[in-house]
Order: sequence, then C-alpha cells, then structure tokens
Amino acid sequence: MAEKPQEPSTPRPQSTTEAEPSPGPSSDWEWHGVEAAGWKVAGDLRVRQVASAVVGGALVSMGLKRRSLGGMAMALAGGELISRGTRGRSLIDGIPNLRRRRLTGRAGREEGVVTGGMVMERSVTIQKPGHELYRAWRDVETLSKVVAHFAEVTSVGQDIRHWKMQGPLGKTFEWDSHLVEEHPGELLRWESLKGAPLPGAGEVRFRPAPGDWGTVVTLRLLFNPPGGALGEALLKLFGEAPTALAHKALMRFKSLVETGEIATTERNPAAREGGFSSF
Amino acid sequence: MRALCWNGINDLRVETVGDPGIVNPRDAILKVTMSTTCGSDLHFIDGYIPTMREGDVIGHEFMGEIVDVGRDVKKVSKGDRVVVPSFICCGSCWYCQHDLYSLCDNTNPKAELQEPVFGYPTAGIYGYTHAFGGYAGAHAQYVRVPHADTDCFQVPEGVKDEQALFLSDAAPTGYMGADFCGIQPGQTVAVWGCGGVGLMAMKSAFLLGAERVIGIDRFPERLTLAREKVGAETLNYAEVDSVLDLLKELTGGRGPDACIDAVGMEAHGTGVEYAYDRAKQALHLHSDRGEALRQAILACRKGGTLSILGVYGVMDKFPIGAIMNKGLTVRTAQQHGQKYLPRLLEHVAKGELDPSFLATHRFPLEDAPRGYELFKKKQDGCVRAVFLPN
Repeated sequence: MAEKPQEPSTPRPQSTTEAEPSPGPSSDWEWHGVEAAGWKVAGDLRVRQVASAVVGGALVSMGLKRRSLGGMAMALAGGELISRGTRGRSLIDGIPNLRRRRLTGRAGREEGVVTGGMVMERSVTIQKPGHELYRAWRDVETLSKVVAHFAEVTSVGQDIRHWKMQGPLGKTFEWDSHLVEEHPGELLRWESLKGAPLPGAGEVRFRPAPGDWGTVVTLRLLFNPPGGALGEALLKLFGEAPTALAHKALMRFKSLVETGEIATTERNPAAREGGFSSF
Repeated sequence: MRALCWNGINDLRVETVGDPGIVNPRDAILKVTMSTTCGSDLHFIDGYIPTMREGDVIGHEFMGEIVDVGRDVKKVSKGDRVVVPSFICCGSCWYCQHDLYSLCDNTNPKAELQEPVFGYPTAGIYGYTHAFGGYAGAHAQYVRVPHADTDCFQVPEGVKDEQALFLSDAAPTGYMGADFCGIQPGQTVAVWGCGGVGLMAMKSAFLLGAERVIGIDRFPERLTLAREKVGAETLNYAEVDSVLDLLKELTGGRGPDACIDAVGMEAHGTGVEYAYDRAKQALHLHSDRGEALRQAILACRKGGTLSILGVYGVMDKFPIGAIMNKGLTVRTAQQHGQKYLPRLLEHVAKGELDPSFLATHRFPLEDAPRGYELFKKKQDGCVRAVFLPN
C-alpha cells in the first residue's frame, strides 16, 4: 500500500492552528525569563519521565511565557505539522475505528470535534541510502538506542517487540508490537498486540530526497485509545508528548546512522549534583 | 578538576567539578593548555540570553593536548597538540559535508530548546547555553571533545600555543566574515568593533585582498591595535558627529563596499536610538541593542555586502528597508571554523597572521573571574584574557 514516493515539497495548505496574537517580537523569546525555578523543573526530570514535562519543562526553562507555549512552541511541537501532514491525505484510511483528531494542545482538545484516535507524523532527512536506513530501523539494537530517551524496547520473538515506557504519574506502560507490513528499503509498519494500554500502530517510510540530501524518513504513529474515561485520561496524560518524543527519536536515529553515536551531555562536568550533570 | 562556572548573572566562580571522560566512541579528552574569553560569553554573563544553569562550566575558545581518545578516533591521538573550533561538528551530516559546520545536524543534544526559537537547531557549542547543547566548557583543566577527528586540528611545530589559541574562534570567525564579503581588488571594508573578532576580520580582509580596511570603535587602545597590528585606518565613533558622513567622505561618497558587524547585541552607541535600545533592553522588552548593525546597514554602499558576525537574538527597529532598497547582500553565520582552520594554520605558519597580540592579559584559572571582569569592563586595555588551567 506504499504510496508513490513523493517528496513533501508541494506547498501545503496553511495550518489552521491559530497562534495567539503576539504583542511584539519580544514575547517569542523572553530572554530575561531564565528563572532558577524554571530550570529546577527541568533539572529534576528523569529523562524517561515522559511527556509533557519534557517539552513543557524545557520550554518553561527557556523562559518562554505560557502565552507563547500555545502560540509558537506547541504549534511546532505538534499541532501545526500534524494538521498539515494529515490534510488532504488519506493518512488514517484503512485503519478501522480510527477517527481523525488533531493533536494541537488546547485548540485540538477544546475543538471537541472527535475524540477517537490521534495521529502524528514527523520527517527527517538523512545522508544515507534508504536500504541502509531500513536495515538499521529493523535492527532492535538500533531501535533501542533510538528510543532510549523514553522507552526500553526488546525483541521477544520473530518480529515482535516488547515496549516498556515510564508514563506520566510514575505509571509504567508495557505492550508488544508486531510487524504487519514490510517493503525492504521503503516501508515498515507495525501494530500493537492485544492488551496494549494504548492500542496503536506505526509506520516508517524511506523515500529518496532530492539532490544530494539522501533519504526522507517519515515516522507516523497512530494511537487508538480504549473508549470511555480511561482512554480520555490516557490521551490527556500523554498530551503533546508523543510528537516531541517521536521527533527526538527520529533525530537520534539520524545521528546514530550518520555518525555512529548520539550526541549527549552525559557525565558532563558541572558544579552541581556531585560534579556531573547531564541536563 | 577545577573549572570556571556560571552561577547566575555576573556570578562566575572557579569550582571543583567532576573530571570528564570518554562517553561516545568519537570523543577525545583534552588537557587544556590555554583558553580565552569571548565577547559572546558576556551575553549570558550579563543575563541577556537564556538557558544557562547554575554550575555550568563555561568557555569555548581553547587549545590543548589530547590525553585520551575513544575507540573510533583515527586521525588524532594521545599527545597531539591541537586547537578545537568552538562549534562541535559531526563531519558527516549534509551541513558538515557542505562546509556549513556550525549548522551541524547531529551535535545539539538539546535541540528541542532551540528549535522553537530558530525553526531548526544549530550545532552545539562548548561552555555555552543549554539551547546550544549545554556541553561543559573549556575554562577547565580538561574538556571532552566529541567528534575528535573532525574537530581537533593538529598544531604544527613553529606555531605557538598563543597563536593557535585564537584559531579556535576569533580568527576563523573574523576570517569567515571577511570571506563573506567577496572582496575584489581595490575594495574598502569597514569593520564595526575592534575586539578579538573585529581585529581578526580586519586582518583577514587584507589577507583576502582588500585595499582599505577601516576599524570603528571607541576604545583608543583597541583602535591603536587596529592601526599598529593590522594596518587598518581607524575611526573613533565617540569623537565624530556622524560615522556615516565620515565613511562617505573616506570612500568618495560611495560608502564601504562591505561592512562587517563584529559587535552584536550589547552594542554601545551615542544617539537617541541607543537610549531607546538601552531602555527597551532594561525593561526586558527586547534582547538586543542594535546600534552598530543599524549603522553598518546605512553606511554600506548600494549593492554592497553586509557581513554579520555579532551575536543577536531578537531586535526591532531593524532597517530592512535600507537593506532591500539598496540591494545589499547579507551574509551571516556562527563560525564554520572547521572549514577555515587548515588555511588559517597555514597563514600563521607562513608568518602572514599572528593573532597572539589579542592576548593582552594572562591569568591562572583560579583568577578567571578577575579576567572576565577586566575583559568585560575593557579595563587596563584588555582585549582578551587568556587562562592557563594547568
């Protein structure tokens, strides 16, 4: 079902996500807002403590005002790209019971159009041929390094991966996924197995980039939460995090395959936390 | 080890921190021989740019000796005397492959802090803000250098430590700024700011074929360096009514062919606009004082080149109309040091470039806060304070 390889360079429709009106350029980057308190939020984070805290905490620590979270950062972290990515394309066709829902922070939630599944998509361009990237993504060792910032993934059988993730409020989520479709060098698609707390599916696509740019890698994740209050609560808890985490995973994948390592400030000398601080 | 740490606005202290070790396979550990202050450090010391944390080790301009290497390091080895550009670059991504090193895709582990502000993240830097990666800096006895094969440049015998030191940042930044100008024979280049980067930009403009170079500043001792060490003509903007008029007269009414801003967001000025910027910055309404940049834009001849090396964040009252209507070419970047290092080392080895005159003051690491004080306040003719951590 792979679509014809297509560089996503055609003009996309303007996002419908409205940024809040900004009173002036300074609200976009509040330079003086480096508040010690903000940093402590980020400082106390465990890397695996997923989710909005990672994004939110980081932005707070940059001293961005709440206002700009909605207007700029969140748009970037999630909504804008997703709504662009989904528009006019049959992103979720073929996956039953999954209705479209924009993942755009407040705007998305309050719109109250549909509460069903959610879709996110992120792309990155990598200086390697598609078949090499395909092999790397299929390798569980590579995958485990790439998602190490939010989950542990292990191989538990032929094309079955076990995922373990520290969720919000200290809750651990575990599930299995299995490969359902593959086109060597082009596409891998997987789905969660029965019993997953947040049923979902995902696919990663490898398409040639123009010129000497290499390969466009597009990761698409679909979540189909169980109905009722539990599903709603899960979605709320996860919030915008999946997009940010997936984007980071793509960037980590890129670094790993391009350079053989992932940039880190682990064991970074600092005059705090006993002489080292990774954040 | 001992290291100079940022502990808040205008609060630098030398403290004991952990020793860095090899973390990734392409890492090297450097024993720092010399490190130096940079004007861009003042922006976070003064609190104008965010994402510093108390206890961060600062410093990004340095040279030293390799004392340990990771398993994938092939080109350099223990014992090598090397200089390291301040931007950390992987050497493998599209940007590194195209000599746009400071735009490296793979060295900013905290890209999510920077991306909302710039649209796309840049490379990481040593000892700078967390938006630029938050890597521990080089005003320390030891520093971890990722991607050592790409980022460590062996210093040939005959090139002194103090000459190599400034090839880490001031010289490649200045050289790149002059390179951006596409200098043709007979051309005049004006440079705002006679600090380390500005002086190196002036010298580089001559190396690249400029006929005249005009240095603009208000500190007599810096203007003296521009005249005596670089051979530039100088202009003290505090002593003239109009920099624009003077530059016009000096260039037959045409204006300089290229203008280089080596000042940045904490520019000092004299007029109404300076008062306006100062007030807005003080009220936290914007981050940048843009007097020097505005002047450079207006002074530049029609169809000329504006080369921006000063570090900026967000600015208003930006005369884009002058740029547009005069058809200026704007070139700017953080330094692509890895591109320029080989030819700069050659210039130094041949005796065509000697940046060591920038080192006006030397301190043991323990006195680094005093060094920054002198540097920031430009006391005692300080152009650059050099630290000797070991």
